[in-house]
Amino acid sequence: MSQVEKKAGLLRRTSSSKKTLKEKVVLMYDEIFAKEDPAKNNPRFWDELFLMKVNLEYLESKLETVDGEEVQRIQYNINSLFHHCVQALGEEHQIKVVNALQTLCALFRGVHQKNKSASGFDIINMLMGFDKAEQRMKDLMDRLDSLLCGDSSESLKSLCLKLLLCLVTVTDNISQNTILEYVMINSIFEAILQVLSDVSSRGQHGYDAVVLLALLVNYRKYESVNPYIVKLSIVDDEPTLDGMGMVVHQALTEYNRQYKDKEEEHQGGFFSTLTSMMGNMFIADADEKLSVQTNEAILLALYEAVLLNRNFITVLAQSHPEIDIAATPTPTNPTTPTTPLGTTPPSLDMMNNPELPLDPNLQTSNLLITFLKYASIVMQDTKDEHRLNSARLCLIILTCIVEDQYADRFLHDDNMNFRVNLHRMPMRHRKKAVDKNIPSRPLVCALLDLMVEFIVTHMMKDFPMDLYLRCVQIIHKLLCYQKKCRIRLHYTWRELWSALINLLKFLLSNETTLLAKHNIFQLALLVVNLFNMFITYGDTFLPTSNSYDELYYEIVRMHQVFDNLYCMVLRVSTNTGQWKEAASKVTHALINVRAIINHFNPKIESYAAVNHISQLSEEQVLEVVRSNYDTLTLKLQDGLDQFERYAEQPKEAAFFKELVRSISLNVRKNVSLNTLSQDVLLKEFSTIS
Amino acid sequence: MEAELDVSSSSSCGPAQLATPPLSIISEAELIDPAVAQRACQEVLQKQVKLRQVDDDSAHSQDEAEPAASHTVYVEKAELVESPAHDQKEAGTEESPVPHQEEVEPEQSPAPSRRRPRTNQSKQSWLLRLFESKLFDVSMAISYLHSSKEPGVQAYIGNRLFSFRDEDVDFYLPQLLNMYVHMDQDVGTAIKPYVVHRCRQSISFSLQCAWLLGAYSSDMHISTQRHSRGSKLRKLILSDELKPASARARREPPTLTAFSPPSDTALSPSKRTHQRSKSDATVSISLSSNLKRTASNPKVESSQEEDSDSCDSQDSPSPVRLAPQREFIKSLMGIGKRLAKLPTKEQKTQRLVSELSLLNHKLPNRVWLPTAAFDHHVVRVPHSQGVVLNSKDKAPYLIYVEVLECENFETSSVPVRIPENRIRSTRSVENLPDCGVTGDQRGSFSVVPNYDNDDEAWSVDDIGELQVELPEVHTNSCDNISQFSVDSITSLENKEPVFIAAGDIRRRLSEQLAQAPTTFKRDPEDPSAVALKEPWEEKVRRIREGSPYGHMTSWRLLSVIVKCGDDLRQELLAYQVLQQLKSIWEQERVPLWIKPYKILVLSADSGMIEPVLNAVSLHQVRKQSQLTLLDYFLQEHGAPTTENFLSAQRNFVQSCAGYSLICYLLQVKDRHNGNILLDAEGHIIHIDFGFILSSSPKNLGFETSAFKLTHEFVDVMGGADGDMFNYYKMLMLQGLIAARKHMDRVLQIVEIMQQGSQLPCFHGSSTLRSLKERFHMSLTEEQLQLLVETLVDGSMRSLTTKLYDGFQYLTNGIM
Repeated sequence: MSQVEKKAGLLRRTSSSKKTLKEKVVLMYDEIFAKEDPAKNNPRFWDELFLMKVNLEYLESKLETVDGEEVQRIQYNINSLFHHCVQALGEEHQIKVVNALQTLCALFRGVHQKNKSASGFDIINMLMGFDKAEQRMKDLMDRLDSLLCGDSSESLKSLCLKLLLCLVTVTDNISQNTILEYVMINSIFEAILQVLSDVSSRGQHGYDAVVLLALLVNYRKYESVNPYIVKLSIVDDEPTLDGMGMVVHQALTEYNRQYKDKEEEHQGGFFSTLTSMMGNMFIADADEKLSVQTNEAILLALYEAVLLNRNFITVLAQSHPEIDIAATPTPTNPTTPTTPLGTTPPSLDMMNNPELPLDPNLQTSNLLITFLKYASIVMQDTKDEHRLNSARLCLIILTCIVEDQYADRFLHDDNMNFRVNLHRMPMRHRKKAVDKNIPSRPLVCALLDLMVEFIVTHMMKDFPMDLYLRCVQIIHKLLCYQKKCRIRLHYTWRELWSALINLLKFLLSNETTLLAKHNIFQLALLVVNLFNMFITYGDTFLPTSNSYDELYYEIVRMHQVFDNLYCMVLRVSTNTGQWKEAASKVTHALINVRAIINHFNPKIESYAAVNHISQLSEEQVLEVVRSNYDTLTLKLQDGLDQFERYAEQPKEAAFFKELVRSISLNVRKNVSLNTLSQDVLLKEFSTIS
Repeated sequence: MEAELDVSSSSSCGPAQLATPPLSIISEAELIDPAVAQRACQEVLQKQVKLRQVDDDSAHSQDEAEPAASHTVYVEKAELVESPAHDQKEAGTEESPVPHQEEVEPEQSPAPSRRRPRTNQSKQSWLLRLFESKLFDVSMAISYLHSSKEPGVQAYIGNRLFSFRDEDVDFYLPQLLNMYVHMDQDVGTAIKPYVVHRCRQSISFSLQCAWLLGAYSSDMHISTQRHSRGSKLRKLILSDELKPASARARREPPTLTAFSPPSDTALSPSKRTHQRSKSDATVSISLSSNLKRTASNPKVESSQEEDSDSCDSQDSPSPVRLAPQREFIKSLMGIGKRLAKLPTKEQKTQRLVSELSLLNHKLPNRVWLPTAAFDHHVVRVPHSQGVVLNSKDKAPYLIYVEVLECENFETSSVPVRIPENRIRSTRSVENLPDCGVTGDQRGSFSVVPNYDNDDEAWSVDDIGELQVELPEVHTNSCDNISQFSVDSITSLENKEPVFIAAGDIRRRLSEQLAQAPTTFKRDPEDPSAVALKEPWEEKVRRIREGSPYGHMTSWRLLSVIVKCGDDLRQELLAYQVLQQLKSIWEQERVPLWIKPYKILVLSADSGMIEPVLNAVSLHQVRKQSQLTLLDYFLQEHGAPTTENFLSAQRNFVQSCAGYSLICYLLQVKDRHNGNILLDAEGHIIHIDFGFILSSSPKNLGFETSAFKLTHEFVDVMGGADGDMFNYYKMLMLQGLIAARKHMDRVLQIVEIMQQGSQLPCFHGSSTLRSLKERFHMSLTEEQLQLLVETLVDGSMRSLTTKLYDGFQYLTNGIM
């Protein structure tokens, strides 16, 4: 076919004059940009236009070259082009619909490109005309809605979503995109949900739909009532919510899989020795190709769903079989949003497949597990900005999750045991844990592990204070839940204790550098209060009576750290300065820890003296601890089991604004790259027409 | 005679009925009028009595079965009895065996019976009088049905079945169906009307029959099996043609339907099906083919039946009435099959959980657990609660199922499905105002004291409300701390410091740990131990809390063990025997305790078992507690003099005695500690009757003792010299005497099931005789007492018990 065409073109070229040939469609564009009404001479002009293959570049560049004065002149024609595009969307002829969608894309983009500084109203005026804008946009949204919900071709639906993504991301700051006001009025929320609830359409457009939804929810979310927020918060249709979860699950799984592949690649063969020598530097370099940026949008969607919709929490726990890394067929290129989930639609869909595929390698997984794994990868390295943002978002999501009691119940469910292979940073002083040895435990253990892992691995000069605060708060919230519900989790709390003590030690030794940037007393207070939780409420959630003794042992053993901390905060609080108050809070919080140290240290020393032992064994110390409880009095501190509930406003608003901007830029870049090649589409429709 | 007089109405009054002479009124829906049929039977019997007098023939006694009373006086087969009706019946059977047979005979026979005056009742044989007497119960009926070779008697009993209570007959359903499958034509003919009648009335009975028929037919040779009576009846039931049509047709006068235009009548049933199917259909079922098949014309039906006979019946789509339940069962079985292929327990458990969550997702509308004692609809499977049970190569698993009790699961409306997330419905709404509010208002953080177990926690925004917030969930006396913390908040102003002793905290911790009911530690190799150890009430409460249906008053929790790849027919037999002995002992007021658990046979290699609640196996007890049985009793129930301990001990003795007898009588083998459960009240319960009567595992010759009585058991009873031990022996003696008295009721169950069976427990020829011998009919009570002494002594000293336990430990790791 194409060859014949080519030949025909060649023939014509030779026969015709040397004059540069212009595509017919380009000529028609030129007509639009002329003063006259193009339909004046040719009544069928618009009909014909949408039969032509769109030349996006030309149209866009043409729009960009239009000057301020010219705008006035051609506004009528552009309005009319917009109008006819919208009308063409209702055509039966699929090619016309495709061309109209693409033309609209170019219109939105071209106009915005040119008028970056212009107010939203000018842009609306230029595109649609003020008086008609409302009607035009209503028609457009209605048409898109029916295209998305109808049984039109999948490629067409995909193009609709692309157009919407294009529209949503034309401005850097989504809230300045005034056209979206019409998208708020004429909601396409239901269409998005339908795409997500249907198995096959979810497979193909789920990613786009979820990203679109996440962006729409963030349109002027702090300033006005965003109907998408309202609607998202009340969705309770299980298949839809599952669908949304599935899309997120797939995207994160794909990333985890790639990461693991990369990692194994580096470990095998020749490089293995090199890697171990160069440590994490090398891995970090290799990771750059695996951009976390593409998943920012997905994480944002997950965040909004978890925050806004309490029904979504159940989706987190929904089990899916997870394909073993080794079993997955050909790796696909996932970084482009056109096929973000790999080429195959989620065939392991619960709603569709009556039976799960039988494969002993299949490990049961759920969104929460996948998310924990993802977080463990992202948190490894927080040096570059996107990674830092992703890690922060992960911790925020985890905060929201642990504040939800249903999620907590699931996390602590003794019947739901999972093996979660968290990724650990290779470090000099420790060996990589062998995956196989991870026992199957309630999920909260994995979450605690992740927190401990983070605490241990991020004590660096460029101290991520914000992440540490979130991390410690998550642990605190978990403890509050366990205390309240009297859940005695069989967890090796000792690891947490020593991680926390090491953190205090780090804060102490880097006091001056850290204080320049951060309020370290806030973090210290949180950490000390975690110990206070264990000391005063340990009876309600510790798994064995021994663990309480071990807590005292650990405190007494590391008493130096607490002593130093006390000295430091005492010093700061007695001086006048900006940290006076913050430091004095820590002094008060340390009362019980100090009481314990002051009570047991002399006892242990005298025990050693009496028994003539220079170095007491752990068992001996524990013995001393056990026999001397009764003479120790502790002070009950207020509000240990209280915490601030997470709220996006006002603390996090700036973060999310910036995040949405970054996502917008990224999505815009990818959409523009990929919507242009529509050969596949045309081929598909050529058979229909 | 409480016969059901109105069963005879005709749902299927197709055109054929109009056109053809009465002889071919053979619509399958038409049933015998039991009263009429019964009279006919009496007729036949009387005739025989007369015949016998004329011929002066001696009574022909049945050889093998000589049930309790010496009743075998009735008549041998007389040619004369072969009434014309009979001939026709058989002719009919050959043509189209399934629907047509049963009606013909009763239609024909009433005619002469009415003519005969009923004055000569006094001359009736006493057999007839027995049949009519109040003493004549299901057990006897089944027994006579089996032992009588006389078609008349069989037909009579077949009709008498209608007069018994459904539940009574249900107990003997395995016997009835096994007879139907394996005995001759006449018995089949006698039983079928009753079965068909009951199938019409109840979906669950239909399925029960279909499953049992399938299971009992499986022992036949493959070539005969397909065309056997059992398979055909099964197919008929599963084709769902046995609808409760009569119930509706009854309302309209029969004459009217008979003369109504054919098109009309042909329409009405299909309409009906359509409506039904709407309410019951699961998504996956296509209706079209079923609608066609339910046309009322019997001719069409029979020809279609033949058609489907020739092709493989498995492929035809399941009909709508039975389909949801069959789907449900099928998916449970599918899970079991898939689990069996996974190598480790842990993988199995994880897989089970995800499979169950899937099942919960697509749970059909009108399904129930057949092992339950009440009518209900299954509404939810709490998937995280499923556990894989200990088994070497198969994967039996235990699931919990939430149900809503209802009047009648067929007619009560199906509960509305509540989405999983419905328990938690308000948070999002509360968040909404936030969207509109700007600035400073949202700047203030809401401080929430803690999580609360109900949703109220979400709405607590104000610190002022905190004071009201008391931890109500655990109003434990030792909850001083939380009390304190609340107090301290309320008295924020006075700033009086509150002091606590560290020793108190430590003490409370160990106290609470000790106070908490002993739980087993999680062991990935034995996932079921923890789940089974948790007290049932606790589990119910816990699951109810987490269920969106939990607030409903009709909410119940059930559990069931799904077995796949195991033949449960022997288990069913054992259940019947146990149940029979239990009722015998109840009747005779012997305080023996046994716990027959319900068995549902789904096919020859699959089924379900009702789990014993609050019970863990002795193996698990040992492994987890590392204590001797007596010490475990002391740990669980308190010191030897406490009331708790004593009642547990009594329970132990009574159950031991019961099961010792059972083990002896049934020769239950494979008695390792994994097969003996201990419940929370101290009862032991034997499970797994895979080796009974003539079969024993691998025939290694272990376990020669009569039953398992280890020293540990005797220790719990207070030693071999104690009063409780004597009580134990006394109970056994009483139990044996009582069982002996009603031996026939036990024997009969076994005997009938032996018919045509390939089960290993019937291996050899002497199964029944040996069983009978173990009742020791000939011994005096003194001799019996001696026998019990010897049995107990022998078992106690038996080396082989110990040896067998050692063997099990070595081979299977069972302690």
